[in-house]
Amino acid sequence: MIIRLLAGRPILLAVGLLAALTLPWVIYPPVAMDMICWALFAVAVDLLLGFTGLLSFGHAAFWGTAAYVSGLIAVHSGLPFPVAVLAGALAAATLAVPIGWLSVRSTGIYFAMVTLAFAQLVYFVANQWRGLTGGENGLQGIPRDLFGVDLSDPFFFYYAGLPIILAGLWCAWRVVRSPFGRVLVAVRDNPARARALGYPVEKYKLLAFVLSAALSGLAGGLFAIGHGFVSLQEVYWTTSGQAVMMVVLGGIGTLWGGVIGAGLIVELNDYLATAGFEEIGIVTGTVFAATVLIFRRGIWGTARHLLTGHSGRRGRAGAGRSAAADGEAVRA
Amino acid sequence: MLEQAFNGLVGGAFYALLALGLAVIFGMLGVVNFAHGAFYMLGAFGAYMLLTDWGVSFWVALGVVPVGLGLIGVVVERLLIRRLAGLDPLYNFLLTFGLALILQDLMKREYGAQSQPYPRPSALSGTVDLGLFSYPAYQVFVLGVAIVTCLAVWYVLSRTRAGMVVRAATERPELTRALGIDVGRWVTPVFGVGIALAGLAGVLAAPMRAVNPLMGSDLIIAVFAVVVIGGLGSIFGSVAAGFAVGLFTALANLYVPALSQTLVFILMVAVLLWRPAGLFGREEGIA
Amino acid sequence: MRLFGRTAALAAGAALLAAGCNGGPGGGGGKISDGKVVLAVLNDQSGVYADLSGKNSVEAVKMAIADFKAKYGAKAVAKKIEVVTADHQNKPEVANSKAQELYDRQHADLILDVPTSSAALAVANVAKARKKLFMDIGAGTTALEGAQCNKYTFHYGYNTYMLAHGTGDTVTKDGGKNWYIIYPDYAFGQDMNKSFTAAIQGAGGTIVKNDPTPFPNDNFSTFLLKAPGLKPKPQVLGAMQAGGDLVNLVKQYNEYKLRDKGIGLAVGLMFLTDIHSVGPDALAGTKFSDAWYWNESQENRAWADRFQARTGKRPTFAHAANYSAAMQYLEAVQRAGTDKSDAVVKQLEGYKFNDVFAKNGTIRAQDHLLLHDAYLAQVKPSAEVKEPWDYEKILKTIPADQAFQQPDSACRL
Repeated sequence: MIIRLLAGRPILLAVGLLAALTLPWVIYPPVAMDMICWALFAVAVDLLLGFTGLLSFGHAAFWGTAAYVSGLIAVHSGLPFPVAVLAGALAAATLAVPIGWLSVRSTGIYFAMVTLAFAQLVYFVANQWRGLTGGENGLQGIPRDLFGVDLSDPFFFYYAGLPIILAGLWCAWRVVRSPFGRVLVAVRDNPARARALGYPVEKYKLLAFVLSAALSGLAGGLFAIGHGFVSLQEVYWTTSGQAVMMVVLGGIGTLWGGVIGAGLIVELNDYLATAGFEEIGIVTGTVFAATVLIFRRGIWGTARHLLTGHSGRRGRAGAGRSAAADGEAVRA
Repeated sequence: MLEQAFNGLVGGAFYALLALGLAVIFGMLGVVNFAHGAFYMLGAFGAYMLLTDWGVSFWVALGVVPVGLGLIGVVVERLLIRRLAGLDPLYNFLLTFGLALILQDLMKREYGAQSQPYPRPSALSGTVDLGLFSYPAYQVFVLGVAIVTCLAVWYVLSRTRAGMVVRAATERPELTRALGIDVGRWVTPVFGVGIALAGLAGVLAAPMRAVNPLMGSDLIIAVFAVVVIGGLGSIFGSVAAGFAVGLFTALANLYVPALSQTLVFILMVAVLLWRPAGLFGREEGIA
Repeated sequence: MRLFGRTAALAAGAALLAAGCNGGPGGGGGKISDGKVVLAVLNDQSGVYADLSGKNSVEAVKMAIADFKAKYGAKAVAKKIEVVTADHQNKPEVANSKAQELYDRQHADLILDVPTSSAALAVANVAKARKKLFMDIGAGTTALEGAQCNKYTFHYGYNTYMLAHGTGDTVTKDGGKNWYIIYPDYAFGQDMNKSFTAAIQGAGGTIVKNDPTPFPNDNFSTFLLKAPGLKPKPQVLGAMQAGGDLVNLVKQYNEYKLRDKGIGLAVGLMFLTDIHSVGPDALAGTKFSDAWYWNESQENRAWADRFQARTGKRPTFAHAANYSAAMQYLEAVQRAGTDKSDAVVKQLEGYKFNDVFAKNGTIRAQDHLLLHDAYLAQVKPSAEVKEPWDYEKILKTIPADQAFQQPDSACRL
């Protein structure tokens, strides 16, 4: 189980932390910033996909909404950026209540399509509401302010933003580890049984949905401040798709997988774009399709599988990671 | 007003053709094909390539391209989709998402993001007098082809044995299997036909809309909303919802232009509130 | 993974700071950052604006470098001049991050071109933050020299005011009083709509209706169908689309036979390449504003011949403007004796010159807008086209001091 694995291996945590701290020395700092934002976003999506069994293809709605709200607050109020980011996360969570309420009644593929359509609705609203969002022009000139300290150097901004991401990640780990997280897994694996045991299944799903949206919002808000710019791309469905790709590539239901997937995809995108190869979809699409076809456990899932030889979890409820990752049908 | 309504039906024809293919594939395989929009785009490019590289006319492309794409669909089903059969259908959703990215960017690499021109076939370049108003002949033709195709599919599904098996498997999957009907042998052909329908829509779109690699990616999301409105398991519902959404969108364009792109999603939310399984879907269908 | 030269950058930053404290403008020679001048062309290389500027603008900039080297030889301050390029796909978020990369990672001293107004505004913000130069050619929005102007951004070539006053004025005064405007729904289109509305009303015309259209868009049927039913019936369809969208629109305009229904076509922004791809007959007689035309004079023609030898095509005004901007930047570096942004800006501000692109050119100091002669052009019917690409007839020259607007008080450099 990932939690035990983690608790038993503080080394892993130390390595992760060290990597996060040294990242902008090794990589172009804005890219490092993208990596950690996407990492939290992917972890948030995994919280829903891996631990609740719901594939959301519309999380860009929350990431993007938070980006706009954070950006607008930073532009118009001059509040320190962490306040703007938190407000963005709050806005994302608020938006998630009605969307989640309507979506969690469906499951599986239906859920994916409904969330996708909702996100597209949010996209068009952002596109039309030009006075607020800037429409096609995007929201420009977002300041990075922290009590008058100038953070315009992306290198320093990375360290200013990192604690927010770490806090978000810590929150995700806590949720999964909590009794609430265990109920989610039970709901995922056998909703009928969970319902029979007296758990209000829909409410749990909705709560997980809102939580996941809030964490996505945290990441999206920081992303907006980091770029100093919010465009419609942040609410576009390809953004949702990219987050799902990261989770699947890294390993569904592992949390760490999202972090690794985000790092790899952001680096790959950056590498290809710098090399002048703009049709990134050819590469990421192939990698992604291959992952789905050949190693559905994802990178982290496969690595852990090989290291621990731990495989006896076919269909076992509460085995700690998605049965889906083992190629088991979790069709509800 | 009437002209705009007609215009809406023409737009709805594309929704209907795509939703129809999506619905039969979903019915047979339980797979929502994310790459459906990409195959639509390939249909348009197929016609474009045939014309520019070999000088093949629109009329020939209208027959050749859907068949060719259908065969590609068969290969895709055999080599890829089938490998994930029996697993959570979400995996095939993800696989086809990856496929859509690859196809879209491959065409972008080859032709750029710019729209390629495709001339209207000369026989259809004029306008037709429809009594109350005259309308470009090509659009009338598109609507005609779409209606005939939908009727033909309907005929096959309701009057032939193969069609009945497919329809039974689509609308009552558990029951059909319980009756011991061999559904498996129809999976590949149905996937091929679904893709061919997308290809047909693509060829029809080429002279009317500009041919570019991104033409399918926006459309497919709207088509998803259309099939959610119609009911994912319902073939008739998908087609009806396709035409209806086209019509409403055009009317919205006339009266509240700001709503025209959002309308399909607003309709979807309304339908979800009212009938979570879609207008023509069954409750068990939501799975 | 690459090792980012963090310490190097910090050191360079410190050096820059020290230099900024010590030296006034134009201090001693050889003050070239990283030992080279890097010109970056950031534009659309695969989308709707790829033909009218795109990779051939990179060629135009290379021509400028070659000409500059030939002119100054060993006396050139900038001994090593490089060109880098990137594709912004007309997306502001891509432009934003590519611009940062060009300045930070590729050490660009100047970014050129950037069509699509939303992308241009994004790059202007980056230029301001990085304190590096940006000379925009491809975008038309007047916000670049208005509310969003900044010390490091120059607008070079044309803007929506110039287009509207050339075309809107003339067509209205020629009798096209009632206009139906359709404009693409992004910064450029919105700006065009405003500028044209002002110009048309100023000339005594009426705007019957103005509708935004999605961008990019390939299906204008809704709007074309609607036009004849508007009250009062419009005499002119004012199309503010550009590039590939314009090509589609013109085709559909002809399909719906609006000209036969008494609705003429006026085009806001048209490039030579657009006429080339629709064919002159579809547009014959259409009047529009142009910033430059290759066959207008012997000088232009000679340059166009050199351009064609490299690219196989005749240049649009964007190509010529890219050449001119790169040249004027290098000249300013030469005069300043350094490529440090502030010193170069000082040299460019208020500079008066004539070159192949800019006739009677002045870079206005208040808002960094290049003023130069503009032209009112008309598309020739194919019968009058004497050689390939010879599609335009220049009807009149609009003098530099009348072609552009007065400085906007919203602009604070």
